[in-house]
Amino acid sequence: MSEMVGKLFGWVNSRLPIANTFERHLSKHPVPSKVNFWYLFGALASVVLIIQIVSGIWLIMPYSNTEEEAFSSIEYIMRDVDYGWVIRYMHTTGASMFFAVVYLHMFRGLLYGSYQKPKELVWIFGCAIYLAMMAEGFLGYVLPYGQMSYWGAQVIISLFGAIPYIGESLELWVRGDYYISGITVSRFFALHVVALPLVLIALVFLHLVALHEVGAGNPEGVDIEEYLDDDGVPLDSVPFFPYKVLNALVGIGVFMTVFAIIMFFFPEGGGYFIEMANFEEANPLVTPEHIAPVWYYSPYYAMLRAVPDKLGGLIVMGSAVAILFVVPWLDRSKVASIRYKGIYSKIALAFFGISFLTLGYLGTVGVTEVRKTMSVICTVIYFAFFLLMPFYTKYEKTKEVPKRL
Amino acid sequence: MSIKNNFKKGLNIRNLIIFSTLIFCINNISAAEGGPCKDYGKCDEFKYSLNDMASLQRGASTFLNYCYGCHSLQYSRWGRVATDLQIPEELFFENLVFDKSIKPGDLMTGSMSKEKSAQWFGVAPPDLTLVSRVRGDDWIYSYLRAYYEDSSKQYGVNNLVYPGTAMPNVLVALQGNQKLVCKDIPVIANNGGEKRDELGKTITKEKCGYLKVEESSGELTKDEFDELIYDLTNFLVYVGEPAKATRERMGWYVIFYFLIFTALSALLYREYHKDYH
Repeated sequence: MSEMVGKLFGWVNSRLPIANTFERHLSKHPVPSKVNFWYLFGALASVVLIIQIVSGIWLIMPYSNTEEEAFSSIEYIMRDVDYGWVIRYMHTTGASMFFAVVYLHMFRGLLYGSYQKPKELVWIFGCAIYLAMMAEGFLGYVLPYGQMSYWGAQVIISLFGAIPYIGESLELWVRGDYYISGITVSRFFALHVVALPLVLIALVFLHLVALHEVGAGNPEGVDIEEYLDDDGVPLDSVPFFPYKVLNALVGIGVFMTVFAIIMFFFPEGGGYFIEMANFEEANPLVTPEHIAPVWYYSPYYAMLRAVPDKLGGLIVMGSAVAILFVVPWLDRSKVASIRYKGIYSKIALAFFGISFLTLGYLGTVGVTEVRKTMSVICTVIYFAFFLLMPFYTKYEKTKEVPKRL
Repeated sequence: MSIKNNFKKGLNIRNLIIFSTLIFCINNISAAEGGPCKDYGKCDEFKYSLNDMASLQRGASTFLNYCYGCHSLQYSRWGRVATDLQIPEELFFENLVFDKSIKPGDLMTGSMSKEKSAQWFGVAPPDLTLVSRVRGDDWIYSYLRAYYEDSSKQYGVNNLVYPGTAMPNVLVALQGNQKLVCKDIPVIANNGGEKRDELGKTITKEKCGYLKVEESSGELTKDEFDELIYDLTNFLVYVGEPAKATRERMGWYVIFYFLIFTALSALLYREYHKDYH
């Protein structure tokens, strides 16, 4: 029996590189032996991606992408489909958790210089994933066709109109109609369930392939490739499987506990994960009192509102995401990790973190004069962090990085 | 590390900058906004109890007798309500369903046409299936108890939670005539205590806008009426999300499962960790 299995495996393996791939990317893939919890969020992001894909497939089955039935089909899922509420809350909680872990994952990158040579492409693919996620999240938010879906889409699509010359035609082309309608919903549905998931999966694949080519980093910023054993394996490394997989499994356990607490006890997340106004069907004649995006876009929304001019706001918002792509070339530091960087980098990162969180809050609340000033200050800090990076990273005094982990 | 050291560490310049920025931010941005309960002030707090079948049944009965004439529950099905609220179907259909052609699988689409009602009331009474999710349970509980007599309005009533509401006070016979009254309330001194005159008597000031029901003008006492609204709100919370009670029950099992999962994987990880440490 076992001989037959062995033979079959041999037959397949000589035609498909199963054993090779397993060894190269899992059982013999070296990863740093000492990392901290910040290094878990990448694994968690892939777990959420799988949750989103699986729950998404089941949501497509009863969902109706027409203007008349989109909203009621969601209630149909919540009430009449067996365990439909489980599937839907899994997807809504997953959306918020996806952004939560990705934001932490990105912050880890800034913290430990995970974009420095030779990891530039890993970082760039990561930024592209983030951009695709933002689009994916926006498209998905429109599908339940509640008030916030409608008016959120109205605000975002109208941004295209601010682009000179082609703006208005572009707006019309994206919307597919003169106002948001069933046509918009059904095209957003196609993009949300087919086009963007394909892009996302392709980008995640590239992100991982590039990562495995250059090797994972560590919080010390030590290059583990410097000290190899006789077989050419880094001394400060362990094989990915089973060591890192088990490590990640503990993280996944903790994460899924938090996920379950939110999903089963606070699925609306106090109005931040599912906004209350979105329980009302889209009504083109009634504008909600207060239009706010979901929490994960709110920092950019605050930036948009900080600029009085619509086109200016759009440019600021776009640049805020675009600037992430060039971070590998903005950081001129000799060291990767914040642990060995100088005081300026530490202050800059702290200010950046605080201003991003503050912008996040400001994007969820109404505008007052003081808040507007705060948004402007925080937006300036956000950009200063990146634009001044070449200077403060180059001229500050760094600490000596140890040779080994 | 001693407490003193910790304290000293916490006072270094970097942390000071971070801390003061944070304080600056919080102080400036948390300016007060008008609450959802408008003139009523802070909404009364409502704590649902979806396992209290008697309360839900009373709430359903109140809804179907007083509200369903105008307000539909279009995403909810008759049979589901009977099952979830543990009301025998026969009893339910005999006493609470007035249209005998209705089947258990039918949606509770209401009995009044939207066009007609829009003519009668100026605006069609909204569907209430999701009202507890759009407005929140605190809001409903406050709103239904915040009607007061106001002869300037179409139906002679107004509402503190929803000024200018288009809905008449349907429950007035039960509640009685509620009016806005003025009260003498103690003046608060600068030190936070009550202000007193030389003789030690509390100084008071007349303040208006309090709700008071005319004595024995309604069938129910204040407490009984509050309870009726409690049950009705509880029912609307249920209708807003029929799976809510199941969800909260099931959640504990799922969390328990993941805790075991985490514990086991932590043990396994520790065992393997010994290989390289």
